Amino acid sequence: MPLWGMVIDVDRCTGCQACAVACKAENNVPVVGPVEAARGRAIDWMEVLDASNWKRVEWAPAGDQDVPMWFLPRPCFHCDNPPCTQVCPVNATYRDPEGIVAQIYDRCIGCRFCMVACPYETKFFTFRRYLKEGPGQNPDVTVRPRGVVEKCTFCHHRLQNARERARVEGRRMRTGEYAVACQEVCPTKAIAFGDLSEPGSEVARLAGSPRAFRPAEELGTKPKVIYLGRRERHG
Amino acid sequence: MAECHPAEEPTPPGVAPWARKAMVGLLLALTVTALYFVTQQLTVGLAVTGLNRPAYWGLYVVNFVFFIGLSAGGIIIASLVHGFGLQEFRPLARLAEFWAISCLLLAICFIMLDVGRPDRTPFYVFWHGRPGSPLIWDVVVINLYLFISLAFGYFSTRSDLVRMMELEPRRRRLYRLLALGYTDCSERALARDQRVLRALALVGLVLAVLLHTVTAWIVGLVIARPGWFSAIMAPMFIVSATVSGLALLLVSAVFTRRVLGLAIEERVLRDLGRLLAVSIPILGYFLFTELLTVLYTGKPSALKVFEVMMYGRYAPIFWGILILGLMCPLGALTGIVWPGMRRVVVSGWILATPVIALLAAHLEPRAPEFVARVSAALLGVAAPSPWLVYPALWLVGLPPLLLLLSGRWAVDIRIGVAAALPVLGVLGERWNIVMTSLVGYAHLPYPPPAYFPSGPEVLISLGVWALGGLLYALAARFVPLVELETGPSVPPAVSLWPADASEVQPAPRVS
Repeated sequence: MPLWGMVIDVDRCTGCQACAVACKAENNVPVVGPVEAARGRAIDWMEVLDASNWKRVEWAPAGDQDVPMWFLPRPCFHCDNPPCTQVCPVNATYRDPEGIVAQIYDRCIGCRFCMVACPYETKFFTFRRYLKEGPGQNPDVTVRPRGVVEKCTFCHHRLQNARERARVEGRRMRTGEYAVACQEVCPTKAIAFGDLSEPGSEVARLAGSPRAFRPAEELGTKPKVIYLGRRERHG
Repeated sequence: MAECHPAEEPTPPGVAPWARKAMVGLLLALTVTALYFVTQQLTVGLAVTGLNRPAYWGLYVVNFVFFIGLSAGGIIIASLVHGFGLQEFRPLARLAEFWAISCLLLAICFIMLDVGRPDRTPFYVFWHGRPGSPLIWDVVVINLYLFISLAFGYFSTRSDLVRMMELEPRRRRLYRLLALGYTDCSERALARDQRVLRALALVGLVLAVLLHTVTAWIVGLVIARPGWFSAIMAPMFIVSATVSGLALLLVSAVFTRRVLGLAIEERVLRDLGRLLAVSIPILGYFLFTELLTVLYTGKPSALKVFEVMMYGRYAPIFWGILILGLMCPLGALTGIVWPGMRRVVVSGWILATPVIALLAAHLEPRAPEFVARVSAALLGVAAPSPWLVYPALWLVGLPPLLLLLSGRWAVDIRIGVAAALPVLGVLGERWNIVMTSLVGYAHLPYPPPAYFPSGPEVLISLGVWALGGLLYALAARFVPLVELETGPSVPPAVSLWPADASEVQPAPRVS
């Protein structure tokens, strides 16, 4: 059984936001408009955070120019011990056997307990019907109704497609055949995606790097999105 | 209503009927306004509220937690009366049962307003309920508690309903329906009612503890939120629920006495005031324990949340609760119900001022800009040092305290006002518990959030509050809010309560 995971090298990330745009297009993530976004309701399954001032040692006197800029691309971390699935009252969010934390939009009652329980704020609520089904959308991905919680699925439909293709051709799914949208478009190859449980895989090798860190690890959530960065960025 | 038993000598006559009608009219207007916005929320979605990321929960959840707490006072008093034979609070028992039921109903209203899919919620929590979720535990306990409260209200009201059938023949059918057709008022049936009540009282008390514990776990078990994740949440919720519940009961008892003119003696109000005055310091103790743990250890995440609460955007609520919502009513109630303590309270309040100033001067201020802001607001000048600000904050509570302690108003009105303050105080405390933790800290570098309830959100919440008032008006219209036997107009033909001691003496078949 594979264990899907992602490694993001923040030293390579240029903050170009290509991953965020690719994710929006791939997953029918609604554009909520400037008014709603200003109210703090923007939906970004993949979001590039400006981490320049994060965990900066405050007594080091530094003008704004002296702060090295760096970014934190943030998908859902697909925790191995997800706090969001623990609290869901109706089993609408769950960790599937391959480690992907999924959301059932038709089951969700919109209580937002999972959003509250997520330390990384990676879940989103559809405050209104932002998007209707129509041309130009990815037909593989459900358009979410109003009043439910949605989140990054590691492009789960791509896994299903790759599996189906392999089955039709009567072979096993090859490594790299299941790739997520943000990883594919990254111009600097900062994002690696694959099976963490496969010893020789790229992600497994990178995850063992001394540069690897996981934010808020002390909460015991065991994120399967692992960051690589210079020591001073771990905080 | 009041016409069933004319007011006794010490009871004020109540206000004129037109004034009562005006009050009901106002409540109706508020409810209808809220209904309009509820339809808007149902058609547009929760976008009409001020909720956002990371303020996923807002005014509705604050109110939900608050109303769950308010229902506590009811079952405590009702259990004391029916389960433990504490006859002092007998006149309040009916009112207590009423609030236990209606506050729960209002809490359910708020949670239904809060969820994104109210069309699914009532069904899915039963069809797909996941036993591991604290929300499901809460659903189970709320339903059990509601059932027990309804049963409690039924068994303690039944005999009065039967009597109302005699007193008001025009509404005979209504009362028969309310009594569920069980109109047997023989001594044996009444003794059985009492046995059931005694059992229900014990179950109800256990369930009350469970209810507030489980509601506290909704926030207390969330490891992601530094201000919530704390073992003290459960006991603190129980105590703040007790404070707010007793306070609400006291306010409504004063209201019932003054406005409806029902026979609730001043002695009863004083007794309940004593109970409230004793429970406020316990809440203060829990708050202090939590505060000390966070401020002393200084764990960055929790400290950040508490700085937002004490010195940041929610500082007015925090200091308002502390001084006007807890300390001032504590002093006022103490001075009113124990008249000998009046001077002690006032001089203690004044004597505390220099002590606070010394403490503030001694301890390094955590947030200088907060001190500057508060001193600018209170004193008109930027304080040279922090020692001025805290005593100034403290002295804000002195005028209301003196007003409540002076004998200008009648005792019961002063008790009512002093009890209304902790109700609002606990509402503010709920806000600070729920909201500061959501907006106060993020584990990733997110831009600073902001949450302010939107107009529709506030109006809908007000409407639900008004609905509570309407429920009260309905109950006052049709059900004797004070048990009939306390009134002098007991018709001799229907001797329902042959001896006052009937429920004090244990029934033989109960172990």
